[in-house]
Amino acid sequence: MSLTDSLKTPTAKPRTRIKKGFYATIEPYLFLLPAFTIFALFLFYPFGRTIYLSTYLTDKLGNAKVFWGLRNYTDLFSSSSFWASVGVTFQFVAIVAFGGLIVGLTTSLLTTRKYPGVTFASASYAMPVAIASAAASMAFRMILHPTNGLLNILLGTQVNWTGDPKWALFSVSMVTIWLASGINFIFISAGLRGVPDELYESASIDGAGYWRKLVSITLPSISPTLFFQIIINIISAFQSFSQIRLLTQGGPGDATNVIVYAIYRDAFFNFRFGTAAARSIILFVIVLIITLIQFSFEKRSVHY
Amino acid sequence: MRKILSLILAVSLLLGIGSAMAAGSPTEIIFWHSMGGVNGEAIAKMVEDFNAAYEGKIKVTVEYQGSYDDAINKIKAAGMSALPCDVVQVYDIGSRFMIDSGWALPMQEMIDAEGYDVTQIEPNIAAYYTIEGKLYSMPFNSSTPLLYYNKTAFEEAGLNPDVAPKNFDEIIEMAEKLTKKDADGKVTRYGFGMGNYGWFFEQWMGKMGLHYVDNNNGRGAEPATKVVFDETGGAEEIFKVWKRLIDEGIITYLGRGNNDAKAAFISENIAITLESTAALKSLLVNVGDNFEIGTGYFPNIHPDDVGGVSIGGGSLWMLASGNDEKQKASWEFVKYMISPDVQAFWNAQTGYFPITVATHELDAFKDNMAQYPQFGTAIDQLHSTAPQYAGALLSVFPEARALVETYTERLINGELDIAATVENLAREINSAIEIYNLTN
Repeated sequence: MSLTDSLKTPTAKPRTRIKKGFYATIEPYLFLLPAFTIFALFLFYPFGRTIYLSTYLTDKLGNAKVFWGLRNYTDLFSSSSFWASVGVTFQFVAIVAFGGLIVGLTTSLLTTRKYPGVTFASASYAMPVAIASAAASMAFRMILHPTNGLLNILLGTQVNWTGDPKWALFSVSMVTIWLASGINFIFISAGLRGVPDELYESASIDGAGYWRKLVSITLPSISPTLFFQIIINIISAFQSFSQIRLLTQGGPGDATNVIVYAIYRDAFFNFRFGTAAARSIILFVIVLIITLIQFSFEKRSVHY
Repeated sequence: MRKILSLILAVSLLLGIGSAMAAGSPTEIIFWHSMGGVNGEAIAKMVEDFNAAYEGKIKVTVEYQGSYDDAINKIKAAGMSALPCDVVQVYDIGSRFMIDSGWALPMQEMIDAEGYDVTQIEPNIAAYYTIEGKLYSMPFNSSTPLLYYNKTAFEEAGLNPDVAPKNFDEIIEMAEKLTKKDADGKVTRYGFGMGNYGWFFEQWMGKMGLHYVDNNNGRGAEPATKVVFDETGGAEEIFKVWKRLIDEGIITYLGRGNNDAKAAFISENIAITLESTAALKSLLVNVGDNFEIGTGYFPNIHPDDVGGVSIGGGSLWMLASGNDEKQKASWEFVKYMISPDVQAFWNAQTGYFPITVATHELDAFKDNMAQYPQFGTAIDQLHSTAPQYAGALLSVFPEARALVETYTERLINGELDIAATVENLAREINSAIEIYNLTN
């Protein structure tokens, strides 16, 4: 009896300790579980699936059918149309990201002082945020119409805005900048309000003019906002779709065939999910590299 | 007590079920379509009338699915697990896909089972949807391309407003007279203009009497394996016309598809254009009294071309749900949709052909023809075409059509010459066909 007791007691104690330790170990993972489940379902699984699909040819339903190895990639790399689409994407993103920022910065600087009608001006600068890109694209389609569009009538020109390869990318970019200008205006305006007035006061005492204050105080003070906004602009420019779908359908030729539109064509029009997946992976790598570059840049020139 | 209560409950439940069965709860079927605007309203009205006529027996739920592309893509997406509807409207170029998918219940099976008289269907329209002697889907909204011209502008330019151009030589000759410029030399009205629409390319192949793909234009027992328009020289002839129109400044580029060309025609910026017969009603409504619209046959590439136009538009497909009751109900619905009265209404509301021959005898149809004599051209054009020009069938048609449009742009932008355009276009479509045949 006593023997069994003495045998039991020492083993009982560590057992409870192990139990406690086990719960303590899994507890944080339980907290992580909901978030992880969502990530796994909507991020990790689709990502893995995309990589898998990019090595296959798919049937009309999008099921992986014939193992194709890296041929989807090598076919893309050897296609002039793919490189044209990469080139167009970079041009488009650069124009839209910086264009949107400049328009947003200009409009928000215009509304920092109080004058009659400033509320109305602010509301109109912020307006594009509230307009769906598809609806705006349809309106611009009429404005840019080659023979009876408003823009040609106003300018007295006869430019084929969306049908001429020289102008198509420019036109689509301008529409996108306009669409992005609202969100740029709102964030940069908020950034401008956060700049302490004392800085301007002391600069004025030192005799600084408007431009001097802008360059030496305003811009450095809102650099985190500008940095954030340029990242947002770049990401949303990479994702631009509806204005291209509705205005040019990637044309003329490949003049506005950005990667996202090419992915859509491959996946949901041609039903070649393999190529579409390969394009997606390439786009992912491009965006990843750009983001890494941006963060290394941030360390040098953004002041918090 | 409790026993009695439960017994009463059970009995009443059984009685309830029994009475519901006696009343005959209607067979419910779902109909997917892609008709927006005025055409969509017409569909809604037709389905409403059907439901009223078959009250207690069949109830059709109508669901608008966006464009033709959207509808077929939704079928593809849903088809992996369960078929999402019983009857679906699919565009002409989705036919081969629907046949290959194995989801469709060939219309011919219902026709044979019932002994339905197929001669009621316009033969040239039925020809398109008949493959190896089997009618796969029921033609429903059928159209052909047509030439539209501004009669008022013709008079102004000293041309006979009753004579439409028949081929591109005539179009170019007339267009030169119709072109108007302002003091600065800016063109205010082009004589001719057309959308860059892959459908027209297919039509011109038929007009020249040439095939688009091999294996009897994709209508053989085996699906098509490659395009033939490069070998027969058909594509080259079409691209020559495009190049000439652009290089000589006869047209300005009006984008892919038809919408911009249509808008330009309505606002009198172009005097002659090409459009579907289905656009007739909306053109007449939009132009109103501004000018008089004339119609002519879809133009030939060469003056001596002997082929004809093939029909476009859509047809009704029954999906093989395996549920006999639903399939019968779907067949009743399809028969209703092509019945002469309904087709007369459909034709008057939209401008699509009445696909049932008997419709031509109805007063409603005759009145409409008297009011819009332009529609007669479409009927004549259809009847003067032999069924052998029914047009190609190709599984990757949506992609091929888009490629034709892209390469037309590359050609007129001067990126490629005609030979390189034909060669690259054929190569890309062939590779799409090859991959499709490899995986399906």
